[in-house]
This record gives sequence, structure tokens and C-alpha cells, in this order.
Amino acid sequence: MTSPPIGLNIRRLTLLIALAFLATSVGVGYWTLDVAGLQGDPYDPRLYATLRDRPRGTILAANGTELARSERGPNGYVRRYADRSLAQVVGHASLTYGASGIEAAYAESLIGQDAADPVSQWRARYLGEATEPARVQTAIVPAVQRAAAAALRGRRGAIVVLDPKTGAVIASVSQPDYDAARVGDPATEEEAWRQVTENADRPLLDRARQGLYPPGSIFKIVTAAAALESGVDPKAKVRVDHPFRADPSWGNYSVKSVTGAHGDFDMNTAFVRSENIYFAKLALQIGADRLEEYAARFGIGATPRCELPAARGQLSISGDLDRPILVADTAFGQGELLVSPLQMALVAATIARGGSLPTPHYGTAVLAPSGDPLRLVEPGAAAQVVSPETAITIGTALVAAVNAPGAFAAGARIPGVIVAGKTGTAETPSGAPHGWFVGFAPAQDAVAVVAVVIENSPKGGEDAAPVGAAVLRAALGR
Amino acid sequence: MTGFLAVIGARTSELGVQALVVPATFLVVALALHVFLVAVGFRGDQLLLPLALGLTAIGLVAVQRLAPSVLLVQQLTWTIVAAGAFAAAILIPRDLSALARFKYTWAILGLGLLLSPLLPGIGREINGARIWIQVGPANFQPAEAVKVLLVVFFAAYLEEHRELLAQTQRRIGPLPIPPAPYLIPILLMWALAMGVMVLQKDLGATLLFFGIFLAMLYLATGRPAYSFIGLAMLVAGGFVAAQVFAHVNARIVSWLDPFAEELRFGPAYQLVQGLFAFANGGLFGAGLGAGMPERIPVVWSDFVFAAFAEEVGFAGALALLALYLVFVFRGMSIALRAPTPFLQLLAAGLSFIVALQALVIVGGNAKLIPLTGVTLPFLSYGGSSLVTNFVIVALLLRVSDISARIRGS
Repeated sequence: MTSPPIGLNIRRLTLLIALAFLATSVGVGYWTLDVAGLQGDPYDPRLYATLRDRPRGTILAANGTELARSERGPNGYVRRYADRSLAQVVGHASLTYGASGIEAAYAESLIGQDAADPVSQWRARYLGEATEPARVQTAIVPAVQRAAAAALRGRRGAIVVLDPKTGAVIASVSQPDYDAARVGDPATEEEAWRQVTENADRPLLDRARQGLYPPGSIFKIVTAAAALESGVDPKAKVRVDHPFRADPSWGNYSVKSVTGAHGDFDMNTAFVRSENIYFAKLALQIGADRLEEYAARFGIGATPRCELPAARGQLSISGDLDRPILVADTAFGQGELLVSPLQMALVAATIARGGSLPTPHYGTAVLAPSGDPLRLVEPGAAAQVVSPETAITIGTALVAAVNAPGAFAAGARIPGVIVAGKTGTAETPSGAPHGWFVGFAPAQDAVAVVAVVIENSPKGGEDAAPVGAAVLRAALGR
Repeated sequence: MTGFLAVIGARTSELGVQALVVPATFLVVALALHVFLVAVGFRGDQLLLPLALGLTAIGLVAVQRLAPSVLLVQQLTWTIVAAGAFAAAILIPRDLSALARFKYTWAILGLGLLLSPLLPGIGREINGARIWIQVGPANFQPAEAVKVLLVVFFAAYLEEHRELLAQTQRRIGPLPIPPAPYLIPILLMWALAMGVMVLQKDLGATLLFFGIFLAMLYLATGRPAYSFIGLAMLVAGGFVAAQVFAHVNARIVSWLDPFAEELRFGPAYQLVQGLFAFANGGLFGAGLGAGMPERIPVVWSDFVFAAFAEEVGFAGALALLALYLVFVFRGMSIALRAPTPFLQLLAAGLSFIVALQALVIVGGNAKLIPLTGVTLPFLSYGGSSLVTNFVIVALLLRVSDISARIRGS
């Protein structure tokens, strides 16, 4: 038998090679035609290539104050930032290390290639012509921002203030902060980047939207909403005996009352005295499924829809409340819960605005060089997550939690204004508990919602309440 | 042909006499080679050399665009050396088929060259891969020359053992067991490829050596099953290596998810920057000089294709791929017309080297396969690669010349 002709094999191999070239061409087309949508990625150095040659767009506060602008220096343009307490929100823009915050989220607008203006993109791309950069208008209110920065000064933690009507962020502080201008300046970027990334306190992290903490008692708002919507009467008395052990299967474990209480509690007194056992019993009564459902409705364990990256957190490690002790502990904000201050501000905003959860956003408009809006930032629609009655009942309890005699959150009172709010003291393995306050004012028709977290604060919520009050006072113009 | 070159050459030129030195030198080299072929009475393929020179010209443009200027001078020097090597390979040996007689010499020489970087004294480790030797002032990558030697050896060896196909096949279950003269080289080549991967940390060479071997095994036997068995062994070996060796593992995880937070500023930085370059290309590209491919580290060696795609777009990238495909088609058609099995296997194997290298590096740039350090033939900065590729062109032309003479007489 003679060997088969090599010629046939050569033809077949050539066909295989041609097919491989075809497949490779498809792959090259996938990337060059940018099917994956890589253009505009905040880490693409092309967005910052012109950093030194020409100015980037200005970033404005709600009142038109410049938060970030490009200034001509001896080595070309450098970025100047007006307020260091906005470092993580406004962000930095570096050719080497990419960008963060609004500098990243609106990177294309800031180099004059906003998606709303395709002509500018084509001109930049095919004619190499630079369109004048657009300006980005934010909802930041400088007076509130200053008050928030001053109230938190010297402590690790975060404050975020929302306009409950729109979901816009009007102030946001994360401490420690960093010098964004040094990270963006080619002369100092390497040293500055090393410093911020080696700092164990992680100043690059925006704790307000990316920091995750156990919420402690402020989570009782969610538990109360689940209970109310499951038919629980807020006026009904629940027997509390410290310490609480549901059944013998709990072994040595028990839920403890902060006040060591023995007595009957309704929802208002339970909020005023922050009674863990009351909420644990409520959660066990309505069951894990209801608590899971309402946590999900309030956006716990879900990434907020927002133009800046925000952390997701968790209801529990598995995502379910699969054992009674976990249900009981989650009811008062412990267990395995992790939330961001932004998420808790959204929970409070939902109560403040009658039960609908707003969509958070930082920018409000992209302005053309002429000053006319190129486009308005359209946040997503708000979703009705609990009934208006539920929101009013909880809102009333939150007013009591601040204003009733002996209230734990008394530090949040503002003379002449009714404040609604709740403190939290969240146990953490990392040392002293985290102090929380969420609240809004005026309670009847809120203009501002605040969430405060102070890391490892000795007196927990008691430390956070006055900080929240100071910020709300600034938002109210008092 | 000259006009085609002039167009490409002109793209490198800026105002000023100095800027014209590179294209002028290149044109002189190209013309000299043409005159040389006429002078020796060459009668073979008329398209292959212009294609190779065209790709080299694009390569010079790319090096000038992307690399420090000292590398451009080096690349031009290497182009002249490559032209010399081309001329030498056209002239010697006088009888191409005689190469087959010394096949074990080529095998041993290839093996020696391959192992030479491991020798203390002349071996050099650059960027984590121990694949270089230094002789005097110049650095060589012996693996480049080894590819050609391997093709010559395989062509001769496989031609000799082709008759064995008439034998009855033994089987283990559904798997055909290749007869010993195939089985032993499969195992040896696999061991060699794994050795290169582990000892020299050169994933590109691993892929090339084994790929060339499998292709030639198929060409000689016409049995794809043998090659698939070999391929499965390579994948299995690679999988195990990815678990055991950090340098293999880094390539794999960077390939699977380069945008992961812990990878994009680390091991996957080069790949991610390359993908950004592609994405900026669009249909017609940013224009030569108008892109930003210099953000890709050492773009002039492994990422020439991504840089090129950014500046000339999908259309230009397709045109470049088409040039390679035409080159490979011409090479394969030379193989088809070759008079003896040895020459057929030789020409097909040499063409396959160029095809496989282009596919492996373009695929690596475009995240289709894990990235390996392989040069883009004729285009990437690198002397040993350029010289080897011109020797490949010379050998292909010689095969075509032999066919033309037989047909003509």
C-alpha cells in the first residue's frame, strides 16, 4: 500500500489555517469595534491623555462653585480641587493610575466627548479636533459639605447627606481623605499613589458608598417595616425579659437588652429605648422569609444603582437567614449584616418620603461650554417599597426615638425643628463598636436625610447623634 | 514592487534628511535583493519576497513609531543582516535535498541551541525567560533558529518513515496507538516542550515547537488523530503546569479575567492596555501616530499588532492579517508543487511556522488565547526573529525554484 498523497494533507492544513485566521479576525474585530464597550472605561489612559495639554472640564457644586478645575502650571495643566473633604467623591484623574469618583464616572464629558454629543466624539476621533470640555454639575451643597467635614473631623468614618425628594447626594465625607491633586499631578503621582495605597486606613475608599459596616440598631427600621406590613400592630405590647432565649436549642446564646429590661414594649417605646429583644421577637414571629423580602426591598445586599461605584453588602454570608438565631440577630442589625452608609441613608430617605426608595446620584447635569445643559442626569425612578402608612408609623417612632424623654438619640435634637432618627451601636470584631445615626428633618416634610458612621467610637450611637444633628442643621440653614 | 515599498517607506519619513535614512537604506536593501535574485538566475515564486519585504517595512514603521530610537537603528542593522542571511541561504547548500541526509545533525544542533541559554556564561535571563544567549555584543534567541532546524529534521525523518502507515494499527479501546516511529517522537517532543516551559519559562516556544511538530505529523501521516492526541497531551501538561508553576498560572489567570482588580495593575497590565488600544482603533483607526499605544509596556515586541490595530483600525488589521494569509497561501502552494515528499514537507512546515506565529501572537493580543511571548513575523522588533524569517523565505524560494526548473526543462 502506498502512502496517501501529502498534497491533500497540505490543502486540508491550509484550510484549517484559513479558518483560524478567520476566527482571529472575528476576535480582532470584537475588540477594535469595541463590542465589549471598553471605550470610556475609567482606567483607559486615553481619557486622561490630554491631562497636561489642555484643560479638563470643571466640576461644579449645586450653587456653581468650582469643585475641580484645570489650572495652567509650568509643566502644562494640573488639576486643582477646592475641597479636600470631597476627595473620594470628586476623585482624581491620573494618566498612570486611572481615575475615580466623578472624574471617572464623567470622564468622557470632562474631555469634551460626552455621549450626548456624538459629533464631538467623531471630531475627536477622526479629525483629531478637540471639542471644548463639558462641565459637570453636581448636587453638592458646599455649606452642608463644610458642616459635615467639620462634624467628623479627626475621626474615621463617613457621612452622606441626601435630598430625599430626588435622591441626589448633597454632601459626602469619608475620613481619612487624601490629596487628589497630588495623585493626578505627574510630578508627584508615584509618591502620592504609594502613600495612599500603603495607608492601612485606605483613604482611597469612599466609606460613604464603598465602606461596609454592621448597622446595629438603625436596621430596626427595616425590621419594623417588615413587621408592620406583615400585620403586626405597633401598639401591641410585647413582653421583654432580659436575656432572651427563644428555646433550649439556642444553648448558651441569648439576645441581650441594652437596658437589661423587664417589661412590656410597644413599637414606639422599643424605638425610644432601642430594645433588641422586642425586634428579635418580632422577626421570629413574622419569620425569616418576610425579613429577607423587606431587606431586599430596601436594597440591603444589592448594589445601589448609581453612577459612582457603590458597595453591595450582604444580608448574611449565605444571603439567606437560614437559622433562628441569625433571624433574631439580624432583626437588630447584627448577625452577619453588612451595609454602606449610602444604603442606610436610602432606607431613611424611603421613610422620609412616604415609602418610596429613591435612586441615588451625584451629578445633576452635564453643561456645554456655553453653559446650556448638554444633558440632565436622569436618575432611575423611585420604587414604592412599603406603604405610606408603614412609612408614617415608622417616621412617628423615629421622632419619638429622638424627642421622647430618655430617648437614646436625644443628642440629635435641633431646637425649633422636629428631627426623626435612630442611633445604632454596632458591635464589631475590630474593637470598639461603630457608632451610627440615620435621620431626617423636618420630620413632616424632610429636606435632608443624613447617615453617619463613626468607626470604633467608644460611646457608639451617642457619639454619632450630635454629628448628624450638626449636619441637618446646616442643611436646614440654621 | 518598488512602488509598493516606496509608499510604505514614505510613511516613515518626516521632514529632514535624517528621517529619510531609514527608508532609503531599506529601499537599497530591497533593490539589492531583487538584483541578486536576477543575477543568480532565480526562476521561482515572484510574490513571496515582496510580501516579506513589505511586512518588514511595516515593521520598521512600527519600530520607529513605538520604540526608542536606538532600537530603530538596531532593527535596520538586523534587516541588513537578515538580507545577508537570505542571500546566503539562496546560495548554500547547492543541493537542497541533501539537507535530508544530515537530519540527526540538525536535530542535535537544534537541541544544543535550545539548551544553550541554560549554560552558565553565555545564557541570559531577560524578563523572566531564560531564552537568550550573549555572544560578544549581540543577544540571540536561539529558539528562533531551532524552529527552522526542527522543520528540516521532521521533514527528513517523517519522509523516511511514511511507509509505516501501511502497518496494521494497534488500539487501546477507541484510541489508535501510533506505531513506534511516531509514538516515540511524540513523547520526546512533548517532553521537550514541557521542558522548555518549565526550565526556560518560554510558553511561546513551547506552543510553537509542539504546534509545528503536530502539523508536520499530520502532513506526513494524514491522520489527524495523532495530532489530536498530541494536542490533548499539551493541554493536559499545560493544565498541570498552571497548577504547579506560578509563571504559567499568572498567564492563565490574566487571560481569563484581565480586568480583575488585583490583576489589571499587575500581571495583566500589558494585556489590558493592549485591549484599550484595540478599542480605540474602531473601523479605520486613530491614524498613524495619533493613537496612544505607547502606554502598553514593551509594545514594540509583543504588542505590535495591538498598536497597529489602534492606529489603522479594524480595516488595517484585517489587511495585515490578509498579507500573512497570502504569504502562507503562497508558501503552501510552493509545497504543493514541490517534486519530492521531503521538499513538500519542508515548504509546508516552514510556511506553517509563519502562520502559527502570527496566529499565536495576534490571538494572544486579542485575548483569544493566553498571551505568550512570540514575535509577529517580520514586524516585531527582534533580530534573531527577522533573520530566521528571511531564511525561511529563502528556503521557500529555493523549493519553488526547483519546481520551476523541473517544469521548465
